[in-house]
Amino acid sequence: MRHGHVVSGSGKVIDETLAVFMPAGRSYTGLDQAEIYCHGGHQVVRTILDLIIKSGARPAEPGEFTKLAFLSGRIDLSKAEAVGELIAASTEASYEASREHLVGEYSEYVGSLRERLVSILAEIEASIDFADDEADTIDPRHLNKTLDEITGRIDQLVATYEGGRIIREGYRVAIGGRPNAGKSSLFNALLKQERALVDHEAGTTRDYLSEWVDLDGYAVNLIDTAGVRGEGSQVEKAGQARSRELVAKADLVLWLADVTMPDWQDRSAADIRDLEYCDILLVGNKIDLVANSGLVCPDETCLISCLTRDGLNKLRGLIFEYINDSTRNMISGQIVTSARHRNCLELAGRALEQTKLAVNNGESSEVLAFEIRRAVEALAEITGQIYTEDILEEIFSRFCIGK
Amino acid sequence: MQDFDVIVVGGGHAGVEAALAVARMGKRAGLVSMDAGKLALMSCNPAIGGIGKSQLVKEIDALGGLMGEAIDATGIQFRRLNLSRGPAVWSTRVQADRIGYNQYVVDRLEHHQNIEVVEGTVVAVSVESGKACGVVLENGEPLSSKAVVIASGTFLGGLIHIGEKQIRAGRMGEKAATELSENLSGLGFEVGRLKTGTPPRLDGDSIDWSKCERQEGEEPLPLFSYRSTRELFKQTPCHLTRTTEKTRAKVSANFEKSPIFSGQIKSTGPRYCPSIEDKFYRFKDKPSHQIFLEPEGNGTNEIYPNGFATALPEDVQREAIHTVTGLEEAVITQPGYAIEYDYCPAYQVDRSLETRVVKQLYFAGQINGTSGYEEAAALGLMAGVNAVLAIEGEPAFRLDRSQAYIGVMIDDLTTRSTTEPYRMFTSRAEYRLALREDNARDRLAGYAHQYGLISQSEFEIFQDMILNTENEVKKLRSTRVKVSRLTDLKVKITKKDKVSLADILKQPGIVLADILPLLNEFDSMFSEDREVLSRAAIQIRYQGYIDKQEREIQKFRKQEAVLIPSDFSYTDILGLKTEAREKLSRFRPGTLGQATRIEGVTAGDLAVLAVNLKRHNAKSGQ
Repeated sequence: MRHGHVVSGSGKVIDETLAVFMPAGRSYTGLDQAEIYCHGGHQVVRTILDLIIKSGARPAEPGEFTKLAFLSGRIDLSKAEAVGELIAASTEASYEASREHLVGEYSEYVGSLRERLVSILAEIEASIDFADDEADTIDPRHLNKTLDEITGRIDQLVATYEGGRIIREGYRVAIGGRPNAGKSSLFNALLKQERALVDHEAGTTRDYLSEWVDLDGYAVNLIDTAGVRGEGSQVEKAGQARSRELVAKADLVLWLADVTMPDWQDRSAADIRDLEYCDILLVGNKIDLVANSGLVCPDETCLISCLTRDGLNKLRGLIFEYINDSTRNMISGQIVTSARHRNCLELAGRALEQTKLAVNNGESSEVLAFEIRRAVEALAEITGQIYTEDILEEIFSRFCIGK
Repeated sequence: MQDFDVIVVGGGHAGVEAALAVARMGKRAGLVSMDAGKLALMSCNPAIGGIGKSQLVKEIDALGGLMGEAIDATGIQFRRLNLSRGPAVWSTRVQADRIGYNQYVVDRLEHHQNIEVVEGTVVAVSVESGKACGVVLENGEPLSSKAVVIASGTFLGGLIHIGEKQIRAGRMGEKAATELSENLSGLGFEVGRLKTGTPPRLDGDSIDWSKCERQEGEEPLPLFSYRSTRELFKQTPCHLTRTTEKTRAKVSANFEKSPIFSGQIKSTGPRYCPSIEDKFYRFKDKPSHQIFLEPEGNGTNEIYPNGFATALPEDVQREAIHTVTGLEEAVITQPGYAIEYDYCPAYQVDRSLETRVVKQLYFAGQINGTSGYEEAAALGLMAGVNAVLAIEGEPAFRLDRSQAYIGVMIDDLTTRSTTEPYRMFTSRAEYRLALREDNARDRLAGYAHQYGLISQSEFEIFQDMILNTENEVKKLRSTRVKVSRLTDLKVKITKKDKVSLADILKQPGIVLADILPLLNEFDSMFSEDREVLSRAAIQIRYQGYIDKQEREIQKFRKQEAVLIPSDFSYTDILGLKTEAREKLSRFRPGTLGQATRIEGVTAGDLAVLAVNLKRHNAKSGQ
């Protein structure tokens, strides 16, 4: 590591920095690589990057470093996927999931399921290939029990995918409601309370407002659908369509109602009736303007005032509970974060359902083996290659076979 | 100097099929054997077939090979194993009249105009500018040819062990081939060592048969070959007995006297065919093992106690045999022994079985690290065909894993390190439901015809059978019967009203025989040919599963279609891990698919390889 200064073309010292050179073969990408450590602060980083780019560099494509590392054989496919997620992970919980994936806890877990299937398969294969020997016959009840257990585990893993997505991509919270309910105020209030992860870039490239906040370790993507509201009927129509789209994609909708409006309860109930397919939290705003005692509201309404910040902590706690609910069924460390893995797991699960069906129909063992093998192969796509030798290995270690 | 198209070294099961394939393709084969009378001897158990192996025999037969015909003609007990399971794993196993089988083969070879059996011992392969061009015999006589197939079996550097006693031999009482092994090393081949074993032989008259369980063969005889003449030997039962607690005590007390444990034998033997001392050693909790008493033939009293392979000293063998139920007074006519022999790890051949070091030199059978007559015969046949194709400048004949057990075997041999003698199992075949005894000809007759391994008339007869089978399948699918009429069926049909005959055949546990009475009710609407019907029934049974596997087969074939040039260099590829680089350079996979099956090559390595292959092929395409 060297100490020095980053200096601009005109000789002006930009920052005092440290730099490391990693020669080809020993770096992450396998190519010559250098790292510069500068002082914090957006401006310094920006200026140094600009300088480097001006001197002929180009920014890496998303995932390019990982791709290079993968192509140079530094990491394998499953690690590459995990690293990809690690980079995408913006908060602690996501980081945790990616890191565990990287060290292979998840891989080991899937591997252990695969091993159990290989062990069943070995038993069945032994009964076929060594029919003349004294291999035990398979007890269908015992087989079904084991299959049930493994299918249960696989289903559990598949169920973590949604949670995994939330951890990887963030939890999407959309703020909806009628005009003047105070959507933007709530958006800003929540932003003020939490640490914003990304600079505010309102209005320039997007027609809605979206910000990232860190909520107790979860990345939460806060979307203010108010941003789509425009003037004039045509724009308004387009805006409404977009607004609906955003709301539909959200994991949670905060439906904001102005408690000073008459019949706000009924109107809100009608408004959110169409949104039944996602989690909705009814939030009553502007409680500072009404007498507390006179407020009648539907169950589970969260009452707040963006102005006085009353109830905001409670709202925050409620959002956190929703996130926890969505990620609850995850076994620690075993979170499926890749769609490819989920597909493999689902394939394995289906093959095992077929196996159970075959067992119950009294199918002969070569058919059972066919289905279990499909499941084993699907799991092996996550953990690595399967060799028929594995099965034989298992047979020979467990059964005294051969004449 | 005698001149041949192809010289085959060794007259075992591999050598015989190699010579016959060459001869069928119209070329002259010279088969060199130490003893012209001992062709296709069964050095170990007197039986052909068994699970996984019978499928190989059917494939050999479909490719015009002799093994099926020979065993049909000389079999003394025919059985199908796995009948309680589905037809994909039904496997025929036939006890042979050992001498009868040998004489049948000798006779067939003697009468083939394209084959000459040369008695002698080969000491060297002649090589000219990287190509095999003949062999040299022990007496100095050279034989010339355009290609050479080596099928040396256990003779290559053979060393027999009985207790501490060691005998240089290729088989009990026959000398080993030591010079050839040195010659191969000299040519640059890596030579390794494997071990196998055989039980003592017993005098049948000294066995108390009343204490053993009789095991009858099957009627009608499930023959192997489509060409069988059905001139059959008298059928004889086998017997089954068990070792006792005394056997365990006797063998366990003498572990250290076995060369397997004493360190005298360093090479590995097959795990699926353990010696009796190995069984008691590794499975200490198992009190008893079953022993099959198999007759060696009709004209002999000799009995082969299958399951009692041993290399213990002769006196211990005798005492141990006497502890087995029914064998208390048994007389040993030949002691059991272990034999070590040389082989050339199969990474040294490509998928055509041609060696990489010497062109037009082929390895077949145990020299490739296999064990078993059927495995050897299949490799011999493929080597013979490819030797002829090479002479004619034609592309090699290769079968892949989705086409045949032969393809599975050659792929396994050329992509995996040998840790023990290789034996076929059905579990090695991932497309097992599609690779069956009954459809071997469907899979291979086209190739057999293309290469001239079967006659035109045989091919045409088979084409008719394919058409007939398709017709029967259609009829079985379209003919529906009322469920109420199916009360006699052993499986209950849950459908309500009517069901097609095909749907009945798909029920687990239902075989063709179960619906034959039903078929008879349709006045000669269905074929009279039982084989055609049975083929149709099996096709119907598995079609759903095979369709399900189609996606995987397509994926597999796609990877197999990505060829890797034989001179492709792995050393300069950035990004391959060292282990992958070493393994790939050693095994030289012929396809990307093969590369995926090499141990130690990870998904990452494969991605790197795939990218580089694309680049390489694009460059060379320009």
